[in-house]
Amino acid sequence: MTDRPDHTTPKHSLLRQDARTVKRNRAETRFKAYGIAAIAVGLLMLVILLTTIIGRGTGAFQQTFLTLDVQLLEAKLDKKGNRDLEDIKKVSTFGYAPLMAAALEKKVADTGIETALKPKDMAAILSKDAAAQLRDFVLDNPDLIGTSVEFRFLTNSRVDGYLKGRVTRESIANDKSINAEQLDLVDALIADGSLEKRFNLAFITGADASDARPEAAGMGVSMMGSLFMMLVVLALALPIGVAASIYLEEFAPTNWITDIIEVNISNLAAVPSIVFGILGLAVFINYMHLPNSAPLVGGLVLTLMTLPTIIISTRASLKSVPPSIRDAALGVGASKMQSVFHHVLPLAAPGILTGTIIGLAQALGETAPLLLIGMVGFIASNPPDGIASGLLDPNSAMPAQIYEWAKRADPAFYERAWGGIIILLVFLITMNAIAVMLRRRFERRW
Amino acid sequence: MRDNVISEIDVTTNKIKIAARDVQVYYGDTHAIKDVSVDIQDKTVTAFIGPSGCGKSTFLRCINRMNDTIDICRVQGDILIDGEDIYDSKVDPVQLRAKVGMVFQKPNPFPKSIYDNVAYGPRIHGLARNKAELDDIVERALKRGAIWNEVKDRLHAPGTGLSGGQQQRLCIARAVATEPEVLLMDEPCSALDPIATAQVEELIDELRQSYAVVIVTHSMQQAARVSQKTAFFHLGNLVEYGETDKIFTSPEDPRTESYITGRIG
Repeated sequence: MTDRPDHTTPKHSLLRQDARTVKRNRAETRFKAYGIAAIAVGLLMLVILLTTIIGRGTGAFQQTFLTLDVQLLEAKLDKKGNRDLEDIKKVSTFGYAPLMAAALEKKVADTGIETALKPKDMAAILSKDAAAQLRDFVLDNPDLIGTSVEFRFLTNSRVDGYLKGRVTRESIANDKSINAEQLDLVDALIADGSLEKRFNLAFITGADASDARPEAAGMGVSMMGSLFMMLVVLALALPIGVAASIYLEEFAPTNWITDIIEVNISNLAAVPSIVFGILGLAVFINYMHLPNSAPLVGGLVLTLMTLPTIIISTRASLKSVPPSIRDAALGVGASKMQSVFHHVLPLAAPGILTGTIIGLAQALGETAPLLLIGMVGFIASNPPDGIASGLLDPNSAMPAQIYEWAKRADPAFYERAWGGIIILLVFLITMNAIAVMLRRRFERRW
Repeated sequence: MRDNVISEIDVTTNKIKIAARDVQVYYGDTHAIKDVSVDIQDKTVTAFIGPSGCGKSTFLRCINRMNDTIDICRVQGDILIDGEDIYDSKVDPVQLRAKVGMVFQKPNPFPKSIYDNVAYGPRIHGLARNKAELDDIVERALKRGAIWNEVKDRLHAPGTGLSGGQQQRLCIARAVATEPEVLLMDEPCSALDPIATAQVEELIDELRQSYAVVIVTHSMQQAARVSQKTAFFHLGNLVEYGETDKIFTSPEDPRTESYITGRIG
């Protein structure tokens, strides 16, 4: 061993782990495994949630339509023949039903479908809303009276369910709204190509519909309700919340009053939202006599609910601005307010915006407070025309609409509830994406 | 290398700019500054030295009332600038701070462009009537801050992108842009490397031509290099105050001697 320098012998070899190290390393490995398992479970749940929602909800965006050539007989629709809109309006949907029945009968005869059904029973495969849609179409285009037009009629939700696999020949045994002969007719019309599933814009833009017409129900009006509520929340909660936070964080003296305010704001953030609903009912509706079910009231209630969230996040982002910036501004002779508005606020802006959007997203998904001010329920109003009507006319909100659909008996509504969830999620994801984008954009770029 | 060069320059004026009488500062129950009385001369660099926690920074911050921003801080006694009590209830600290500029320990440029950093003070005090005047002020201030040559081609680049020494000189330029009469510097070189420190020290000596400069420093060599007057603080007391040369060569108080020879601190 001449070529090897003389080493001392180690007391403990570093090449071999001692018992303590082995134990420590095992504990660390176990901990990492738990972490990975937790994340995996979370991801699995998310995947299950998303696939369920998408799997069940996408159906709502498609609807079964029957395309028919319908004769808009002048004798039925405009007896005077002068195309006066007021006269045409006098013809109710009952006046249109026979035209549709005739059109369907003609279709059946033309394509050579053999059926034992009477024309009235044949027409039962169409939606109860179809006549109203045809009437609306005629009122918009009175010039077409007397001609034959190709019109796409909504079908009954049972027919729609049959095409989507929800309704089968076995399941209709006790169903009074549809029978096997009608399904035979549906099969024949599918083969003919005139009855098919199509994208249904009305689901996104339309209003809610009554229990008997799930095929006509849409999210549009409740979406407007949510939109107007969010406008109210944004217009009130953002300025009030930011002003309150700036005052509390930068100007207010620290004493027992501000301590109490601080504790209360933190506690308010944890108050169940339904409590805000009761408050809204008591103050805005019973005391101030604002209208029931109005997005204005909903917005006010959600403002109360969102304020603590916005205040807490705004204060946190103000706090995170380094004090050296305040010193620098004060040092060159800026006033307190100048130092806040010129230097601190711009640096805190990304945090404030993110907090606000998260607060808005929370408010958008809130249902419970709306229960108490009458925004949850069957509200099949027309889309609001104008801001005042949008704020004051009875309306629902997206989550309230989903809840309303989910509790109705007809499974066709159940599908629409899932579809509604997709729309709501798209809104929430969009808002969060905007929050991320704003954060990136306003973040200190140096 | 140039240890004694600066301090050999004669003190040309003896006018008193800042006079402190029996100043007491309390942080809550802690008595941080005890009975400090000191006269600081105009167009002179005065150094405050002393071990950590001795109150020299606290006293410095009293001179432009930066301590007002600390809730629990109370100041008693009188501090006069040009014979006016700056703690008088009629004094607005904002006006005071325009007159008494401050440079901090850590360079703290605003996250804005170099130009905006310097222009901010003149803008809020309305020192420029138009863009050309503001440009002038910015150029003059950057020249006084001895950083003009380095940044004149990139005035609109972010101030935070400069090196530490450049940032500190930018902060000095920002402080002089508002035309103050007193410049307070709280350990301006503690975050800088020796080269940047040398540049800043040279700058401090030039600034002496126009301002009363008060500098807090931990480095006794720095105090010896840049100052004409030195005050030694210990445990909240002003132990000794006098000509820098005298403090460093023949201190009267044994505590001063122990500190400058490295036995306490």
